[in-house]
Amino acid sequence: MTISWHNLIVTLGRLLVLAVLLLGTELGVRYGILSKLFFSSPTEIYHALQAQYGEGTLMPNIGITVFETMLGLIAGSLAGIATGLVLPQSRTLSRVIEPFLMVLNGIPVIVIAPLFILWLGLGLASKIGISVYIVFFAMFIPVYTASLRLERTLVDALWVMGANRWQIFWKVVVPSSLPSIYTGLKIGSGLALIGAVIGEFVASRSGLGHMILYASGTLDTPTLYLGIIALAIFAAALSFAVDALGHVLVHWRFADEK
Amino acid sequence: MLEFRNISFHFPTKRNTIDVLHDVSFTCGEDEIVAVVGPSGCGKSTLLSLATGLRKPTAGDILIDGRPVKGQNRLIGMMFQQSTLLPWRSVVENVELGLEIRGEPKSFRRDKAVTLMRQYGLGGFERKYPHALSGGMQKRAALAQTLAMEPEVLLLDEPFAALDAQTRVVIENDVVKICRAGKRSVLLVTHDISEAISMADRVVVLSRRPGTVKEIFDIPFSRGAKSVADVPAMPEYATYFKRIWDALDISVTGMNETAA
Repeated sequence: MTISWHNLIVTLGRLLVLAVLLLGTELGVRYGILSKLFFSSPTEIYHALQAQYGEGTLMPNIGITVFETMLGLIAGSLAGIATGLVLPQSRTLSRVIEPFLMVLNGIPVIVIAPLFILWLGLGLASKIGISVYIVFFAMFIPVYTASLRLERTLVDALWVMGANRWQIFWKVVVPSSLPSIYTGLKIGSGLALIGAVIGEFVASRSGLGHMILYASGTLDTPTLYLGIIALAIFAAALSFAVDALGHVLVHWRFADEK
Repeated sequence: MLEFRNISFHFPTKRNTIDVLHDVSFTCGEDEIVAVVGPSGCGKSTLLSLATGLRKPTAGDILIDGRPVKGQNRLIGMMFQQSTLLPWRSVVENVELGLEIRGEPKSFRRDKAVTLMRQYGLGGFERKYPHALSGGMQKRAALAQTLAMEPEVLLLDEPFAALDAQTRVVIENDVVKICRAGKRSVLLVTHDISEAISMADRVVVLSRRPGTVKEIFDIPFSRGAKSVADVPAMPEYATYFKRIWDALDISVTGMNETAA
């Protein structure tokens, strides 16, 4: 009983905060307390939504950014998982490659972005490329570290049972990395979006990043907010989806908690 | 039958070579439980990894039923000190793991795993994950996993060290019973003299590193005991305990050496 009361109060509290924010900006902007240059009321943002939607630019812009992010997340994750799992299988190879990857990982993505634009052009490819690049490291580092710290006893135990290298890889190495893959996905999903938007900021003709930058340049504050809100909603949805996927990936950790 | 013949094992490090085992010979016959005791770092666990084929001896031969051990061997099963149940597999999936590796058909291995689990008091826990099991149940699951493969030689590397005293007695009894019933060769590594006397037919005492066989004791009286817990109360127990303790010679100087 106390738990449900607690939950109810939390939900009501959240709705209250939201209402105060919406109502506060609405009234603040309407009565000139908040400058129209810096803030937009929910009504203005709604009008911007109608306008953008009416011009037929909103949905394509959202779609492009979502597409870039998802492709970046999937391709970057797969590359990161594969490299993180395979590299530790050879001590020599991992020692050769490791410093290069660590240096690359240290370079801030914002300075890598122009290079991707140069290589892949102004279109979607360069944004996906940037996204893949940062997601790769977000995934590679936890998976690689976990593979290096693999529980030796488990490998030995399977070997004694007669397992070959391949069986050990699929029955121990891969499942051992699942919690790290989940970690990589959690970090990577946020970074995939950042990568796509950074690419759009540096040079682009479409996407939510482009819409935000354009609105900012033309002092179209409501559209600027609209872009930010659209990004926030997508980010939240993505994070929710990743959490759901995580429960499947590390199912055993959640098995007996119900 | 498991035979160690003049086994030596050296471990090269950056600076020098560590002599872990030196000229160790003894046998563990069919339907026999042999315990190996020795100070920490004497190489008793190394003996087991040599027997599994995980490592190769620097010199000497290890024979199972007269045939030398080379690499993986179907006749051997081992229970490790740490838990080797895979946390992402349900208990029944863990118990059938060895059979799965051997490529046995699914229905066969599942039936066998379920039967073994019932036998070892794990019925109803098939779909649970290892972390939901108590320490004692995890050990029994690990034992079932090892025995599902019907090994002729069973190696136990201090598998009961982490258990509480009561659970320990129960599992020790289980192991003794199972080993006797299956006419297996069982090699138990332990640092616990009491456990060695209670469970084993013979106790091999290793010296400090490099480990050599100091003395081998026949334990004729414990075999008739109903439970391993009854052994310490038997009249011969104290004498054997004292003799093994003296052979171990765990003096203060010996304790200065760090465990490997």
